[in-house]
Amino acid sequence: MKKLFTQTILATLVAFTLFACSKTSDTTVVNNTPVTATVKDLMADTVLGLDAKTGMPYSAGKYTFYSIENNTIVSNADSATTKWDLAFASTKILINGGTSGTGKGGAFIYKGLFEDIKTIAPDSVFKTDNAPTAYAITTGSGKGWYTYDGANNLITPIAGRILVIKTASGKYAKLEIQSYYKGGVTLSPTASDADKLTKQRYYTFRFTYQPNGTTTF
Amino acid sequence: MGKFNIILFFFAPLISFGQRLTIVKDTISANGDSVVVTATRSERKLSNITVPVTIINAKTIQQNGALRLTDILKEQTGLTMTSGFGAGVQLQGLNPDYTIILINGEPLVGRTAGVLDLNRIALGNIKKIEIVKGPSSSLYGSEAMAGVINIITDALTSIPLEAALRYGTYNTIDANLNNTMASKKLFYQGFYNYYNTDGYSIRPNSNNRVTTPITRLTSSQQFKYNLTENTNLVFNTRLTDEKIISNIAVSNGGVTIYSNGKEHNTDINLTGSLNHRFSNDLKTSFRSYLTNYVSNQDLLTLSGAPYTDLLNHLFQRVENQTDWMVSKKLTGIFGAGAVWEGVKSSRYDSEKVRKNNTIQYGFTQWEWTLMDKFIVIGGVRFDQNASYASAWSPKLSMLYKLNSQHKIKLSIGQGFKAPDFRQLYLDFTNAAAGNYSVFGSAEAQKVIGQLNSLGQIGSLYSSYYQLKSLQPESSTGVHLSWDWEPNPKTFISVQAFRNDIKNLIEVQQVGAYSSGAQIFSYLNIGRAYTQGLELETKYQWSPQWSLSGGYQFILTGDKDQIAEIKAGTVYTRDANGISSRLSLSDYVGLPNISKHKAQFKINYATQDGYFANCRLVYRSKWAVNNTNGNEVYDSGDSFAAGYLSMYSSAGKNFSNGISLQMGCDNMTNYVDANNLSNLPGRTFYFSIKYQLINKNK
Repeated sequence: MKKLFTQTILATLVAFTLFACSKTSDTTVVNNTPVTATVKDLMADTVLGLDAKTGMPYSAGKYTFYSIENNTIVSNADSATTKWDLAFASTKILINGGTSGTGKGGAFIYKGLFEDIKTIAPDSVFKTDNAPTAYAITTGSGKGWYTYDGANNLITPIAGRILVIKTASGKYAKLEIQSYYKGGVTLSPTASDADKLTKQRYYTFRFTYQPNGTTTF
Repeated sequence: MGKFNIILFFFAPLISFGQRLTIVKDTISANGDSVVVTATRSERKLSNITVPVTIINAKTIQQNGALRLTDILKEQTGLTMTSGFGAGVQLQGLNPDYTIILINGEPLVGRTAGVLDLNRIALGNIKKIEIVKGPSSSLYGSEAMAGVINIITDALTSIPLEAALRYGTYNTIDANLNNTMASKKLFYQGFYNYYNTDGYSIRPNSNNRVTTPITRLTSSQQFKYNLTENTNLVFNTRLTDEKIISNIAVSNGGVTIYSNGKEHNTDINLTGSLNHRFSNDLKTSFRSYLTNYVSNQDLLTLSGAPYTDLLNHLFQRVENQTDWMVSKKLTGIFGAGAVWEGVKSSRYDSEKVRKNNTIQYGFTQWEWTLMDKFIVIGGVRFDQNASYASAWSPKLSMLYKLNSQHKIKLSIGQGFKAPDFRQLYLDFTNAAAGNYSVFGSAEAQKVIGQLNSLGQIGSLYSSYYQLKSLQPESSTGVHLSWDWEPNPKTFISVQAFRNDIKNLIEVQQVGAYSSGAQIFSYLNIGRAYTQGLELETKYQWSPQWSLSGGYQFILTGDKDQIAEIKAGTVYTRDANGISSRLSLSDYVGLPNISKHKAQFKINYATQDGYFANCRLVYRSKWAVNNTNGNEVYDSGDSFAAGYLSMYSSAGKNFSNGISLQMGCDNMTNYVDANNLSNLPGRTFYFSIKYQLINKNK
């Protein structure tokens, strides 16, 4: 730890030397320790009920905005800012970049394990959102982070899919979605229709965020 | 019952043609003299058969109280019944698609999603059922990949009239009438069966019937006319008519749509053959066969929207087979034939246009008895057709009798299953679930191309460009068995098998609509294996008591998935959704396969006609659903629990021709509504049978 600390001080000094001209009044202490957290039951435009006429489920049709940097939900009023990094509505996840936001956000889907990503490979390409046809976090069953089982009406996160994320301010995080159902456990195929309807659209995920702007976790 | 009186009345004058009564011995040592036709397409003693064969005789069928083919097959070693699209049979770990079902050597058609519902087949006139395990396409062509099940009707029965009535739980009624007459030149057998059940519900808190009310009628007639001593004509007809009332509730997105439906299935089979014996060494047979299976599903949703589903499968075949005994030690058979086959379905682009295929084939088989102890059989068949790649199917098998107690059999053969009409021509969009589409490979590129020009296609996958003419799925099977009869009362057989399967046709996403809805088609992509061990034993404990048992251990796997697991690119999730690398030890292989299956039977029968038996059938757990978000079946997925079911029956055959029998199926009342819809809870039945026995023996 001591060695790491020394290196960090050195690196910070070098950085300060390089950017000293432009960063005159930056007093923020750069935190080099990656932050790991688990978010439980994040509501993502949950189902409010069934439409009396069509019988189809309806919801408010609103995204839940989330700041990875601050590990907190961001008010919908701030949707046009760079305060949020990810926005969730049912199975769709937006990044704060491209057509979705004003930030520097991007993402790609890594095939492998969360622990496998120690450093983001230098040749990685972060995609941005290009609504309505292409999203950085690909939509659709089997194409992005989940599969949809039509026979049992269940959304299951694909094992070994890690979302590698560039936040609105251009920092990096890795994120694994663990469940799409309330309580953090994917429902059993034999669960009741009512549970399948009302317990869906609750994200449980874990992430590691590197606040120092490097690609190493 | 009026209907039966009329039939009785109609045949009563004919009954006087009665024939001699022959009693077939049913001891273990007598089995070696049983005649088997399915293994070589010619009559051979079981003791000289070079491939694994199981024979189920009429007596076993009767004593077990079996009504439909499923009832008896589920108690055979290595056979597992599947549910979904009717009751199918899984043989050596292969799905029902890969076993050909024959009645008197002619194939049944009319499969739904590859499954031929074995409940279609009534057992009241069955003489025996022969099951050949392992690839047998060298004689039977397509579908004989896992094996062959041949149902042989009672052509030589000696009973002029037999009537049987059975009543059981869920108002299940089964009535049988068998009638034969024979003169020197003309032989006739008729069989009529009426089956009706109210169906049953095993889902808790639900009125939905797992098996809906069904009425089935079966009639079959066989005429044999001896033109000369060496020439005869045989004409067979068979008709099954099945009516199912289904009140279905379909839930989608929390909304349940109730519909009242009727399903009507008919199956007609007509066979004509001319058989001539030139000499003791040379005989030939010309056969023609026509079968038409028509299934009509008519659902009326309560919202008033009709939904109909039609399947009409027509299959016609002509064939010649010539058997030539070159010498005492060398026998050859030659065969050639042609098939005209077509399917109309509302799931194709138009239900008015029949999709057709023609097949020409030829086969030959040579049986060489090197010495009394050593028999070698080699054969090959070639199938050529218009719609998919042609297939060569060789097979080599041998039998070596070490001594009177020990026999070793080895066979190596190739089997194939041609792409079926669904895989070639399906044109189905599921409006009820996300508007996804499945297009058969023969038309996928055309249909998707048209949709693309209309701007409806969002993306095409690389698999779209790989779509091409489908190859038959094929397997290579090796079987080794050792039969041991340490004494006339004991029989033990140990068998080992391995099947390597390639070109498996699988559904693959090939693109997506602009809306994002998926588009699927069929590609030859899969490679798999099944391998296992089977053990069968019989023991005649005393003249009255006998025991028999069987066990199968099976391992299966998808070879591509195994390669991926070894490469470390397959992941699994724990209960909390945390991913980890899947290890090979957690891989369970193909779904719906139980590693262990066993059955045991204790049978009691006396000289004066009393009989009783108790049977146990065990099946270990099997994977049913991929729930942990990878595409392979592993220990983290959902399984159906293993179970033991128990059956019992007892009765008495009186000397005046009357038989009484009662039984109880599934005595422990084991039910699993989600995974075993074919297994009702405990059921009871009682039956009475009358056989008119000709006393002028």
